[in-house]
Amino acid sequence: MKLILPDRKERVIVTGPVPLDQLLLAEGINPLEVIASRNGVLITEDTMVGDDDEIRVIRIAHGG
Amino acid sequence: MDAGTGRQEPPRCSACGEPAVFFERRTSRHLCRAHFMGGVEHRVAGTITGRRMIVEGDRVAVALSGGKDSTALLMILSRVLPSIADVPLVAITVDEGIRGYREETIRSADRLARRLGIEHRRIPFTEVFGDTLDAILKGRETRSCSICGILRKKALSDGARAAGATKLATGHNLDDEAQSVLMNVLRGDLPRLARVSSADSSGQFIPRIKPLMYIAEKEVAAYLLLCDAWQDLPECPYAQHALRREARSMLSALEYHHPGTMLRLMESKEKIERACAGSVFAGPLRPCPQCGDPCSGELCQFCELRRSLGC
Repeated sequence: MKLILPDRKERVIVTGPVPLDQLLLAEGINPLEVIASRNGVLITEDTMVGDDDEIRVIRIAHGG
Repeated sequence: MDAGTGRQEPPRCSACGEPAVFFERRTSRHLCRAHFMGGVEHRVAGTITGRRMIVEGDRVAVALSGGKDSTALLMILSRVLPSIADVPLVAITVDEGIRGYREETIRSADRLARRLGIEHRRIPFTEVFGDTLDAILKGRETRSCSICGILRKKALSDGARAAGATKLATGHNLDDEAQSVLMNVLRGDLPRLARVSSADSSGQFIPRIKPLMYIAEKEVAAYLLLCDAWQDLPECPYAQHALRREARSMLSALEYHHPGTMLRLMESKEKIERACAGSVFAGPLRPCPQCGDPCSGELCQFCELRRSLGC
């Protein structure tokens, strides 16, 4: 899958279906501090994501 | 799995079976767009009515920085208030003068107020304090958040008064409030812990209200994204307040592993407020002898700051 991180860096990860929160935790990201979309659609942190997906992770800026 | 695309299907809404966009960890419920947004708006309306934050006859000033929380606050208030009370809103944007940061959020605030048809007032630090925050903070960067917070509060109070407001609404969310409770515990600041956050100022001051106080930061962000109102705005360059940053990180980890932690922290504060009601710790705010603003000590925070800065 293509994983677009909050700093806009892109990574290609080959994995079987995995819950999004496990993927985020493996990247050192607390799922509560980000929101994520799959192909432009907001998804829950327990959604199973796979190799065909493009996942964009947006860090929630604090304040404001 | 979707047979056509091979993609894993998203979880389904616990209420209606539509694809879920948000997982409410505390209740283990999945929510679709409609049930998530409706739920957030319903909870904000419940906070407003349950705590009598806004009543008929009010004129509500909304502190609108243009960042995510104040943007969500203004959008939600403009949606839910008509069913609660017929009250006018006025948006107030404080322009601290933070080069490379504020310009973008002020443009965003302008656009939102115009789109919602809400009166919008901009208050530059240069008009209220004679200088930009950047200039005021030179050589005092380590105190940036505390100095800015006090000055912003003063500018907002003055702006709300000038706008004829009876309430001043700010976009503090559940994460902000829980962090403040934890920080007050860590500092041993019992008076702040014991002070009733929804204190009625008996007509002496404009009461501050926080309608998003039970909405988590992640819910605020998801709400904006679902309204197509999410903007990837920069974080304030002065946001280096060590204790709040550590409290945020600690609470966020606790909330992930123990859902409901932040709400329970808020409940603890409310219990402390009730237990300390009438005690010396929870005395009412009174007018500052120098400027008349709300004050719990000898002087208000703004006059204390002016004294410490020697201006």
